[in-house]
Amino acid sequence: MNTTVEQALGTGAQRQTIIRPSRGLFDLDLGAVWQYRELLHTLMMRDIQVLYKQAALGAAWAIIQPIFAVAVFTIVFGNFAKMPSDGIPYPIFAFAAVLPWTYFAEATRRAATGLVDDADLVRKVYFPRLIIPLAKVTAPLLDFAIAFCVLLVLMAFYGVVPSIRLLAVIPLILIAGLLALSIGLWLGPINVRFRDVKHTVPFMLQIGMYASPIVYPLSQVPTEWKAFYSLNPMVGVIEGFRWAVFDRGNPDFGALGIGLVVIVVMLVMGLVYFKNQERSFADVI
Amino acid sequence: MTKDLAISVRGLGKRYLRNAGPKHNALRDMLQDKLTTLFTLGLRRKKKDYFWALSEASFDIHKGENVGIIGLNGAGKSTLLKVLSRIVTPTTGEAVINGRLGALLEVGTGFHQELTGRENTYLYGAILGMTRAEVERKFDDIIEFAEIRDFIDTPVKRYSSGMYVRLAFSVAAHLDPDILLLDEVLAVGDAAFQRKCMNFARSLEQKGSTILFVSHNMFSIKTMCQRVIYLQKGKVVFDGPTTEGLKLYEADSRLKETHWFYRDDGEPPITFTDAEIVSKEGVNAGVIDHGERMTFRLRYKTTRRVEKPDVRLSIDREDDLHTMTFSTHTDGAAIACLDGEGELIVTSPPIRLTSDFFTANVAVRERGTGKLLVSQIVGHFHVRDAVYSSTQYGVLHESADWKHEPASAVSTAPTLRVAGS
Repeated sequence: MNTTVEQALGTGAQRQTIIRPSRGLFDLDLGAVWQYRELLHTLMMRDIQVLYKQAALGAAWAIIQPIFAVAVFTIVFGNFAKMPSDGIPYPIFAFAAVLPWTYFAEATRRAATGLVDDADLVRKVYFPRLIIPLAKVTAPLLDFAIAFCVLLVLMAFYGVVPSIRLLAVIPLILIAGLLALSIGLWLGPINVRFRDVKHTVPFMLQIGMYASPIVYPLSQVPTEWKAFYSLNPMVGVIEGFRWAVFDRGNPDFGALGIGLVVIVVMLVMGLVYFKNQERSFADVI
Repeated sequence: MTKDLAISVRGLGKRYLRNAGPKHNALRDMLQDKLTTLFTLGLRRKKKDYFWALSEASFDIHKGENVGIIGLNGAGKSTLLKVLSRIVTPTTGEAVINGRLGALLEVGTGFHQELTGRENTYLYGAILGMTRAEVERKFDDIIEFAEIRDFIDTPVKRYSSGMYVRLAFSVAAHLDPDILLLDEVLAVGDAAFQRKCMNFARSLEQKGSTILFVSHNMFSIKTMCQRVIYLQKGKVVFDGPTTEGLKLYEADSRLKETHWFYRDDGEPPITFTDAEIVSKEGVNAGVIDHGERMTFRLRYKTTRRVEKPDVRLSIDREDDLHTMTFSTHTDGAAIACLDGEGELIVTSPPIRLTSDFFTANVAVRERGTGKLLVSQIVGHFHVRDAVYSSTQYGVLHESADWKHEPASAVSTAPTLRVAGS
């Protein structure tokens, strides 16, 4: 991609930019992303500001969505289907899982369609395109933080005493963010060429939700399937959340470890793929 | 590369796949294509059809130079700016840019409708490459220049298009780049704001900024640039002094279809094959004096009879202001039909336009249907006058009858009727 070289010319340092056809598969130029960190921050703030503008209920939507999902799950799976929940009251059992999942789903959806949503920018302004999926993945963290407060209220209501383990949700949600980013790095460039992605993502996420231990506990998954099942990185994240919130048992490092390996592989390959597609975004978007 | 160069371009080229655009936008199309190829054993496979939007461009631009980029639509002007601003990656060659580069390829790209003017100022500033602290520092200047202080906390979707553009340009204008790439952006807003923008561009020039300026507006090019680069089908065909470059461009663009003419079904039934603008200075001399009559000789050729044509000759100032139109219909010079070949001779009344640059266009409409058959550029000319310039006297000038009656004269003038008495 384009290489920017800061060179000292004469008395003051002046920026010199060299533009040439891209070479090399691994010319990732991550330094440019750092240079444009203010734009990352601004775009993230824009997405936050815009989301609930002219919505009468405003940021309350960040709470309404997970609450309604959990209410439905509690009635259908908790009451009708009598789904076991490891001895934890079903509403809070489900909420602890819906919370990271809602963030992950929203971050993935936005990261996948972000380039096209901001097509005007991509066509008319230069900046490292990685900024867009990064901003899309970070903006929904605010919704997550708001919904997390609801979790605290629920914990108080059900008499769940928080422990120091609760801090583990921070690295866990970051892992969910990295996963969303790595998926976005793949789907974003594909969406630039084929708008089919926009239609595919929602039902992929729907399937993903049932392939993750949200409405049921991990203990319900047959042991012989567990390794395969844990290839879904959200398994480790969600189980980690339950461990952090309910302070019982041990975290499932096996599931988390498998998930992390999957994320790292997808992320590195996704970066290379994204950077190699990046040069043609403005031409085809 | 020496220190006083702002931009150095060597063999820069950009290749595109023709018709790559709307096709393959859905996965289904691509699968269908692949299947067709498979079943026909690749026999009907189309050869990849490339074209060079820009090829083998090489030039150096010194610091502080203002350079105009001219050329007809599709000549590669915008591609050049897009490559230099790093939006698209070149296929060949290299460009070295020394200094902070600001690109204004479209005013207001990145504005968000739901956000207020204030929020958009920060957003757009960041998009153009300013830091938050920088926008904060310049904030008052920006809204002052945009003249929207009272509406700064209103969402921009409630702005008039003029306000929108003024704010966007104002943010961009305060970028303070070493090198500024401008694409047609000055062709926005009302006349007063346009002049403000031109003045601003000139102030940048005085500060020593380098400006690369793409425009169809020869008037702005002439006033802003000492040098032009003339592109034709992606190639640099001229690089030198503005007057020479514009002369070449004007000669090339004579009889070209006007850029807004949309040709829907093949060859127009009538085309103009030759055009002359005759003035005292000579044929196609490009200069007439204020108050002089001019004659247009237009040779035409038809492929079918055109019944009762309404032929119009219009004169546009080079900031795209439409100044006057002569029409066979309204001038009482109805033509029964045009068939085969012939010549139309139009003699104008004394031209009272103020000193500026103008383009004459000829268009033919079919009476009855009103369908536009053709619209072509006749030529360009300069109205010359030492006193009546467009900046001070408006679009046209004719002398009025003036009479001065001092107060003493009023009281002693019994014939004067005072209103109301």
